[in-house]
Amino acid sequence: MSEANEPAIRVAGLAKRYGDFEAVRGLDFEVTAGEVVGFLGPNGAGKTTTMRMLTGFLPATDGEASIAGHDIFDDATAARRAIGYLPETPPLYPEMTPASYVAFVAKIKEVPRAERAAAVDRALERCGLDDVRDREIRQLSKGYRQRVGLAQAIVHEPAVLVLDEPTVGLDPIQIREIRTLIRDLAASGKQTVLLSTHILAEVEAICQRVILLDRGRKVLDQPIAEITADGGSLEEVFTRVLTRDDAGEAA
Amino acid sequence: MHVFTIAGRELRALFVSPVAYVVLTLWSVIAGTFFLASLIGFQERMLQLQQFQMFEEIEATNLNDQLIEPFIGSMWVILLFLLPAVTMGLVSSEKANGTEELLLTSPISIWDIVLGKWLAGAGFVGLMTAIVAFFPALLFVYGEPEVGKTLSGVVCLLMVSITYVAVGVFASSVTRSQLIAFVLTLVLLVMLGMMLPFIVDITLAGSGVGRDSAVAQVVGWMATGSHVDRMLQGLVDTGDLAYFAIASAVFLLLSKTVIESARWR
Repeated sequence: MSEANEPAIRVAGLAKRYGDFEAVRGLDFEVTAGEVVGFLGPNGAGKTTTMRMLTGFLPATDGEASIAGHDIFDDATAARRAIGYLPETPPLYPEMTPASYVAFVAKIKEVPRAERAAAVDRALERCGLDDVRDREIRQLSKGYRQRVGLAQAIVHEPAVLVLDEPTVGLDPIQIREIRTLIRDLAASGKQTVLLSTHILAEVEAICQRVILLDRGRKVLDQPIAEITADGGSLEEVFTRVLTRDDAGEAA
Repeated sequence: MHVFTIAGRELRALFVSPVAYVVLTLWSVIAGTFFLASLIGFQERMLQLQQFQMFEEIEATNLNDQLIEPFIGSMWVILLFLLPAVTMGLVSSEKANGTEELLLTSPISIWDIVLGKWLAGAGFVGLMTAIVAFFPALLFVYGEPEVGKTLSGVVCLLMVSITYVAVGVFASSVTRSQLIAFVLTLVLLVMLGMMLPFIVDITLAGSGVGRDSAVAQVVGWMATGSHVDRMLQGLVDTGDLAYFAIASAVFLLLSKTVIESARWR
């Protein structure tokens, strides 16, 4: 079990190279337990790659990281148990129903047998899936599929929730629903959430802190309250930092 | 334990897919037709032998050698062409659905995935074998086939099928396309099942290397044919059983390596 003062996510010098291309270059950051952090950046900034390394889908080229005190390389299984992950495309089996699918995930995420049924019911209920729990996933709308993806990520009550662009491709109403859902999940104050997006409004609506990535580097790491306290908007800061970085790169 | 979770989900998925029913229907129809044809052939032969009063031949003719063995032998050939349809989606669909990412970020091992898929496929071919076994079983009602020989034939078909499922798991793990997986499995199975001995013959022809050479023997051993022939005749040899075990192990190990390699890139 993790130490009380151990950060929920700790990343130090994390890097990923594909041949000559450096997708992530020496990333450092920490997320304290209960914090909701927005992972922001233009497409190709390395958000997905970083999340895939944290969840153990991709190995890192360099650096280290831990989830709830478990090193993602040395203690991979424990780290994976502590993480709930919704990839960019929700990993669904179209022929299953939300109920059977979430039950399957509960099994492979090692929810104890005695608690499994209750955990599945709770996850489905929290994601508003009670009405469609026995319909085939292939028949569900994109918004509902996203909810099934979320239910899958929370069924084992992970310490850390990693959500990769959870609202991409949804209509405005579905976007609002998913955001409300994420906010509700975070409302307990115990759930750590790392959420990637390139929609600024989303970060403002959900997150307490923002980490801005650009071309594999962290260019900003600040609480949202601080940013808006100066009277600035997230968009201004975002544009300023990114253009400054452009200038720096050109020089 | 996760092996069974993966296998159970996969088996259920197989049985809600139309492919499974197409394969099972074709398999049953072909088995029925072949069995009937073999049965009629057997009957005609017996009549002829009786007409010509060839009592020695009648004495030597039996249900096992003239009916059951060729029947199971031909179903084995059909298997080469039908099995790829069963196994093509085993791993490739995980890649296509994006569920590979779920499995690989869960606290389960890659062996759980590989063996689970294999087990699910084994369950399915178990049913296919049972369908084939049904026909020789009928003969026990009307005649007296040898139990041991018949059983050895059925077990042989089951073992070949399970081994071929391992080949299918491997072919399915190298691609996200079910079509490519299908074609690759078919090619591998036809190679293993039929082509290897011919390839050896053709390559060695005129090379001065005899068919008894080490190369020819090793490649001959790799072919499924000789092992199947012996077992269908009722000769259960540890060497042949070892062949099935080794072939399965090799392809499962390859599958594991391929799935794992997704993490190296």
